[in-house]
Amino acid sequence: MATTIADLSDLLKDIPAGAWVAISERQHKTIAFGVDARAVLNEAKEKGEQLPLMVRVPDRNTAMFL
Amino acid sequence: MAKATYPYVAISLPANEAHPQGTTAFRPLTFATLTAANGQSIRCMVLPDSGADACLFPLSLALLLELDVLNLPKAITGGVGSQTNVTYYDTITIDLGSGIRFSAFVGFTQGMDPIGFGLLGQAGFFEQHRVEFRHRQKIFTIESD
Repeated sequence: MATTIADLSDLLKDIPAGAWVAISERQHKTIAFGVDARAVLNEAKEKGEQLPLMVRVPDRNTAMFL
Repeated sequence: MAKATYPYVAISLPANEAHPQGTTAFRPLTFATLTAANGQSIRCMVLPDSGADACLFPLSLALLLELDVLNLPKAITGGVGSQTNVTYYDTITIDLGSGIRFSAFVGFTQGMDPIGFGLLGQAGFFEQHRVEFRHRQKIFTIESD
């Protein structure tokens, strides 16, 4: 599946650091977020997004990946 | 043989003492569908990393794939998050789109959870693919052998 998303900054800008986020690639929007990846995925599925993109917002201590 | 070009992904990084205004990292990330032998699939981000011995993913993604991690073969790995991480291994199909699809024996470890994306390392990925990074153009190309 190809994606059109090349910049996640806007989608993630209001999400707390460290949160897991379910993103609809089709709608180009955030569907659910939270600390528990399973709960986030379940919420996205309940909202009709069966295969969301699961990403994690960088937090202050792990943002730089070296 | 398949060849595909992917854009780098812009990630906003929070401010810290060294970067008080925050910064934007442009990473050669792309999006993958992982499918386990049980048929469960998830979408996540992956980053080709020739410095990684194997493909590694956050343990949380193994749980989303409903893998029975406690019954998977495991090893202790280093270099991610801490000196030692218990890493659980299983064979996963990885689909990067545009015809780049392969199976690999990949690890899942809690040490990758803070990072939140997978690393495509030497075993399972670089041994089957050629990767060209064009950082100035913010694109990279993957070609299967």
